[in-house]
Amino acid sequence: MIWEVFRQEEQGDYHTHCGNVHAPDREMAKQFAAIQHARRKPTNSIWVVPKDEIGELDADENSFGGVTDKSYRWAPTYKSDLDHAAEVIDSEGQQAEAEKQRGDA
Amino acid sequence: MEIDTVKERAGPREFSAADEMPLEYREAATRMIEFHANSEIMGAYLERPFIREAPSIDRKLAYSAKVQDEIGHGQLLYRAAESLGVKTREEMLDDLANGKGKFLNCFHYPMKSWPETAMIAFFVDGAAMRRQATLRRTSWEPYAHAMDKVCFEEGFHVKHGESILAELMTGSKKEQEMTQEVFEMWWPRIIQFFGPTDDKSTHHDFSADVGLKTQSNDDLRNLFLREYIPKAEKYGLEIPDEPRIRQRDDGTYEVEEGDLDWDEFFTIAKNEYEPGLGQINGRKEAQKAVQWVRDTLEWENVPEGTAKPQAAD
Repeated sequence: MIWEVFRQEEQGDYHTHCGNVHAPDREMAKQFAAIQHARRKPTNSIWVVPKDEIGELDADENSFGGVTDKSYRWAPTYKSDLDHAAEVIDSEGQQAEAEKQRGDA
Repeated sequence: MEIDTVKERAGPREFSAADEMPLEYREAATRMIEFHANSEIMGAYLERPFIREAPSIDRKLAYSAKVQDEIGHGQLLYRAAESLGVKTREEMLDDLANGKGKFLNCFHYPMKSWPETAMIAFFVDGAAMRRQATLRRTSWEPYAHAMDKVCFEEGFHVKHGESILAELMTGSKKEQEMTQEVFEMWWPRIIQFFGPTDDKSTHHDFSADVGLKTQSNDDLRNLFLREYIPKAEKYGLEIPDEPRIRQRDDGTYEVEEGDLDWDEFFTIAKNEYEPGLGQINGRKEAQKAVQWVRDTLEWENVPEGTAKPQAAD
């Protein structure tokens, strides 16, 4: 049985997919995951999920968003010379980054 | 976990579903996140008519994107609230429909004219974003994760709101006057967004002790006034004489609490304010009208007695 492994580096971080392990049950999967995916890297927590339990939808079957120009929904479109609040600047920066990736898909 | 341990360990993103949290913590967190989720939904319903009433195609696109975002934020937050194992998403949505669910004071007021959209999108969202940015450091990890995504999207709302404000305040004299008029109407409500002053706040102490809230009402109101008074003035808005606001020597602000209508605020807080009831019932009717869509979705028809989610799941 294959278990997908998600590793969280520090408390509060997201669990991100880092690989998978072969294991007969959940307990063994946790042990193998700890050994294979959290031995060399600092880790706060590990999730193991049976591969069969994961639903997948790929770009062949579905047309995902994020490829058309929807500049009206991004902060950088709305130009101003106002000195914005830190969290607005932060959000705008993240959105500019996301918009840059649109072309890479 | 004992409540003393919770207080001792309390810090940013410190607790997650992997921890066994005491009921007092889970109830306080549920109350806070459910309120936040409800506010997202009710805010979206308030703004929805302006998709139709937008004065241009650009504004229409932006408004439909904004309303979509807000509904999405509500969904994210109901998931974060549900993760505490106190109430299910269905129970929270039912309570919102039957008038038990509480939500932000600003969304109990009707919104009638286009200039009012700038009040919500620039000032109310600006205030909300100040608060949400601090909640990225809340102790309930799923809540903090929801805030990451909300804050990512919200910058567009504030800047779009500013763009509407800029357009109105550089428009005709009539537009400028209308904008000043609605600003005077919304300003006290926006200041009340942060709730009563700290010594009158009901839930603050415990929420702060366990790290759910990272800033007090007064701190947040100060942060907002410091940031947004100059912005209002830059666009030519005049700050109303009341409530009286004084700047202290240390740069913080003192708002004359007596100048604000707290009877109205607490009537709203009890969901007894007439226009607010109109909003609640309006949403309930809209929900009913599309019940058939939910009925056709198989997952809505899960058998009775299915296990409720638990914090330990």
